[in-house]
Amino acid sequence: MEQLILVVTAIVAGVAAYAINVELGKGGVLGSAIVALIGGILFPPLFGELGSSMALVAATASYAGMVSKNNVHSMGEMAVVGALTGLLFLAAAPAYPGVGGRLGTIGAIACLCFVGYKHLFASLVQQDMQKLASGK
Amino acid sequence: MKENRALLTVLVAVIAAACTWYINHQLGYGAVIASSFVGIVAGIVLPADLAGAAYTASFVGMSATAVLPSLGFALLAGIVVGIVIISTGPVYAGMGGKGGTTAATSVLITRGIMRVFGL
Repeated sequence: MEQLILVVTAIVAGVAAYAINVELGKGGVLGSAIVALIGGILFPPLFGELGSSMALVAATASYAGMVSKNNVHSMGEMAVVGALTGLLFLAAAPAYPGVGGRLGTIGAIACLCFVGYKHLFASLVQQDMQKLASGK
Repeated sequence: MKENRALLTVLVAVIAAACTWYINHQLGYGAVIASSFVGIVAGIVLPADLAGAAYTASFVGMSATAVLPSLGFALLAGIVVGIVIISTGPVYAGMGGKGGTTAATSVLITRGIMRVFGL
């Protein structure tokens, strides 16, 4: 249950950061920093130990939300990236403890995975369309 | 990148890393609040490229004291991340989390420097 809460937190935080970044045009830095600050202030006193983890995963997803519109085209796509970020956070959070920037690295891996999947999917669809057009 | 802009980027990175480390450990607000506060100030006050560099450098200041034990080491890591930022600007531009990856790499480089010089 706690893990599900963390993934949902990541989705919401990632979409919020993306919205401030792209939809409101405030840029990636403000989008991420605002979401991370709100999470860091609100979650720990409200939810105790779980809240500390929620603050960390919200910050992680906010770093992914700094992505440009060229790579992630909509808030729906950002929700997928947020979910990926949450799952990666659960898997990789114990790695390199105390090294600043590791959460952003998790966000970057989530973005790269999503962009890579989109390119692969588009390439496969294109191949299928070419086969259909050639009658094979 | 022009030389003056590059030097300014390194300066901003050093200040951001040190401020974040200070707010994180000396004032005790924790890594997330320290970094996000520096990011908000940078986002409001600085132009976009320097704000991005400051925010990236703030991730360095999120490091634990076991990794960067003092403000001096945070300043060193700020110099390193500033150099990495100006060296890798076009790489993966527009990819979320790139700043964090840059910062983590810089922290590990700094740890390597510390080990080599026995610091």
